[in-house]
Amino acid sequence: MQGRAVVVGVGESVYYKHGGSPDSEFQLACTAIRNAAADAGLELSQLDGLISYMDHRNSPLRLAAALGFDELRWSATPWAGGGNNSSAALQFADAAVCGGYANYVVAFRALAQGQFQRLGSGAGLLAGAAPEGLSWGLPYGLMTPAQECALQTKRWMHDHGVSQEALASISLACYANAQRNPRAVRHGKPLTREAYHASRWIVEPFHLYDCCMENDGAAALIVTTPERARDLRGKPVPILATAQGLGPDIGLPSFQPRWFPGMYYENVGRTIWQRAGVRPGDIDVLQLYENFTGPVLMALCEIGFCKPEEVEAFVGGGALEGPDARLPFNTSGGNIAEAYIHGLEMVIEAVRQLRGESTCQAREVELSLAVGGPGYAPGSAVLFGPAA
Amino acid sequence: MSRYLGDDWVLPALTPRNTPYFTAGSIQIQFCRECGHAQHPPDDVCYACQGAKLEFRAMPGTGRVESAVVVHHAVHPALATRVPYVVAIVSVDGAPGCSVQGNVVGCAPEAVAIGQKLRAVFEEATDPATGTRLRIPQWERVPGA
Repeated sequence: MQGRAVVVGVGESVYYKHGGSPDSEFQLACTAIRNAAADAGLELSQLDGLISYMDHRNSPLRLAAALGFDELRWSATPWAGGGNNSSAALQFADAAVCGGYANYVVAFRALAQGQFQRLGSGAGLLAGAAPEGLSWGLPYGLMTPAQECALQTKRWMHDHGVSQEALASISLACYANAQRNPRAVRHGKPLTREAYHASRWIVEPFHLYDCCMENDGAAALIVTTPERARDLRGKPVPILATAQGLGPDIGLPSFQPRWFPGMYYENVGRTIWQRAGVRPGDIDVLQLYENFTGPVLMALCEIGFCKPEEVEAFVGGGALEGPDARLPFNTSGGNIAEAYIHGLEMVIEAVRQLRGESTCQAREVELSLAVGGPGYAPGSAVLFGPAA
Repeated sequence: MSRYLGDDWVLPALTPRNTPYFTAGSIQIQFCRECGHAQHPPDDVCYACQGAKLEFRAMPGTGRVESAVVVHHAVHPALATRVPYVVAIVSVDGAPGCSVQGNVVGCAPEAVAIGQKLRAVFEEATDPATGTRLRIPQWERVPGA
């Protein structure tokens, strides 16, 4: 916390379309971690911590052995959900390093959705009867994150008079920024507002382009102390604050009226601002996980960037597009247009903005925020700041 | 009545906590006998007073659309001939703070709107594991409301 831990290396595999990876998911994980270690100037044997989220296939035990760690001293994964924990992985790394439990902690995520079940697919849910947790929705054909987030978004748009154009603006900003990023799976495939509106409905109010992609790839970051970072090649980027959690009575994905509609980000935002001593208006560049466009709008409001009644103006008119945007946003293209590595590629982009290495580089960046997936608890966020 | 998404669509696996909801033929909501708190989905502990004396009560069987969306993308091949269909979040009359999930049957999917009054209807099926007769809650619009 407060700059006592730093990101000292980032690494990625090539990002592929769903099913496009010639490498196995485990190979992708190893590649991203090797690239992060090389970026930092570390030997793989020096790494001693591994953190992921919603990853039950690439265990720290297997990775530490395959990568030749001298020892594994810290491994962890957050409870529940998926990409909502993309920034929580950095919180765990921050805690491990600040607590002295490990020296070089890796946060990683590997996804090969062509080799394993697609996250947005309900197909794996249908082997027999619906177990209790799914029984309240699955018999009614309510089973995917797109449908769940659509129900939240529909009510929120109704309550606050938000139009489809606001949703479109999120997707268009991601696509515009991805055109600058050769890593982006959607690089060279610009999106127009007309094409957005003409795309097929997945579940109203989400068109195809309101939904993130499904991809194969892996991403990794390495966290250490500023003291250790001095001896390394990588430019250290301090972690100023992290947050993870949920407010009262909202952990159940059951649409109960006390918090419906809601994205679980009020308390995460409050915690970030309190711990870092800054306000939303101080943020120079924002990466906000888009599972779907509607939850992005809701999370923007819950975190405190604007009020629901202001959101159309806040995101409209190209306000989020390009390096000179009013608020540079999802500057790599995000989950919608760079790659869906469960949001960890967006945490890397937040680091890149402070290293001055983004393909959509914002000016004079001092505060770079990465927010995890909205709509599933616990939410998470990580704020990076300038090197001391 | 036959099922909205087809009689071959997924059924709930019965457990002590969801059997009342899916078999009673009324809208069953869990209440705390100590403090009167209503909660859904049911659990082993009252979320208001942490008591464990919980019971199911039959509600009047009416409710209100809190949200509803039309699903166009068939997630599973079995749904390819069922789309578009509507899924809804329904607040349950008589159970403060409780909403349930369901379909709104008997009308076009796009005719369902936030705020509409609904009444419960029940689909019939048989649990293949136990032979238990299921009565799966669904909703329809109240004429004139």
